[in-house]
Amino acid sequence: MQNLEQMITAAFITEDRWKLYLSGLGVTLEVAFFAGIIGLILGTVLALMKLSVRQNGKPGVLSMISTIYVDIIRGTPSVLQLLIMWFIVMKSSNNGVLVASISFGLNSAAYVSEIVRGGILAVDKGQTEAGRSLGLTSAMTMRYIILPQALKNIIPPLGNEFITLLKETAIVGYVSLNDLTRAANLVQSRTYEAFMPLIGAAIIYFVVIKILTILLGRLERRLRKSDNR
Amino acid sequence: MITVNHIVKDFKNVDGTINHVLCDVSTEVDAGEKIVIVGPSGSGKSTFLRCLNLLERPTGGQIIFDGVDITAPKTDINLIRRRMGMVFQNFNLFNNLTIMKNLTLAPTKLGIMTEEEAKEKALGLLKRVGLVDKSDVYPASLSGGQKQRIAIVRSLCMNPEVMLFDEPTSALDPEMVGEVLDVMRQLAEEGMTMVVVTHEMGFAREVGTRVLFMADGIIMEENTPQEFFAAPKTQRLQDFLSKVL
Repeated sequence: MQNLEQMITAAFITEDRWKLYLSGLGVTLEVAFFAGIIGLILGTVLALMKLSVRQNGKPGVLSMISTIYVDIIRGTPSVLQLLIMWFIVMKSSNNGVLVASISFGLNSAAYVSEIVRGGILAVDKGQTEAGRSLGLTSAMTMRYIILPQALKNIIPPLGNEFITLLKETAIVGYVSLNDLTRAANLVQSRTYEAFMPLIGAAIIYFVVIKILTILLGRLERRLRKSDNR
Repeated sequence: MITVNHIVKDFKNVDGTINHVLCDVSTEVDAGEKIVIVGPSGSGKSTFLRCLNLLERPTGGQIIFDGVDITAPKTDINLIRRRMGMVFQNFNLFNNLTIMKNLTLAPTKLGIMTEEEAKEKALGLLKRVGLVDKSDVYPASLSGGQKQRIAIVRSLCMNPEVMLFDEPTSALDPEMVGEVLDVMRQLAEEGMTMVVVTHEMGFAREVGTRVLFMADGIIMEENTPQEFFAAPKTQRLQDFLSKVL
């Protein structure tokens, strides 16, 4: 028992080490948050691009660009994308959070675009036809009728994607960002004791994601309001 | 009002073969006419109706609405569609919006009416179909008959010059067919130009000014309702009527 207390003290209390985890969690959340926003916006744009058709009903250039983008991003490891961004594309930047946010955002956008596209396609075609038959433009139909309904389909997998994203940021240590995982690593290298820092970090990830899951559940229920009889 | 010149519609099947859904259909719809289209399933009658407002774009031929060739690539079809209401078999009310919002969305977003004008118009029409008390609920809480009456009202909110009905009662429980047909009958009495695809032969006989029989992608026979039902000329129509009447 005494041993356990010592381990906890060494892992979290000595030299105010809890501050390392806290600032690490801050970095993790920051990167996930900004990457999430970039992913959501770019992903939606990519989805709309992919769904766009020319007047003859065939997919156009925008659709092809979107397809190629998604292919490339899904076909390469996110660690490599991060390293490429850090060491090649944004070599001149010293702002690790910025580079990581952009890299994960670009990565997440590919997955989000497929989620958004699926959500849009799942809305009954009759809804579009009804909107168009009233003289609404395709953009208006999309904005006022299709997207609000697609949102209900999109939220659960989107939450899933964001959770994946949040955990995936654990690799930002590769570009020397001190996130939560790296904080645990640092403490471990100081105390020569792996158990407490690693399990501690795992618990923190778990709690954060549990809270997110609960919030998402609430959002989902609110969006289902119009299904109620 | 609407002139249809030799329209053709082909669909490409998955295996690459071509399905001729409409083969050279021509007709004319005059203002005030109530045209009823009947025919076996797969005869192209729904496709024909959906071509009239370009929900399906014909592969060939021309459709002239009020002097404008709507099949021409440069025609702004959105402006034309504002003047043509359409009612669908599956109602297609906007599930994410309340009934009132369903009715006012198009007129307000298109800048045709202010919010107040659109609401007033919607309430007036809702009163006529006896559904004023439903204005703040979502479509999911309505019965099929109520949904279809609302769908008709939604089209009417745009003050259309012609109404297209695509099997408006086919998805309804039998006891709700009457309430929808009543609204359509009332609309006909007020002089609305209507094109109705339906299986309701009673409605065709009673309300129609002209009945078209479609089969195999063509208009095989057309006549006044009296002649159409009393003296069908083609064998196909005789067979069809013997099955449905």
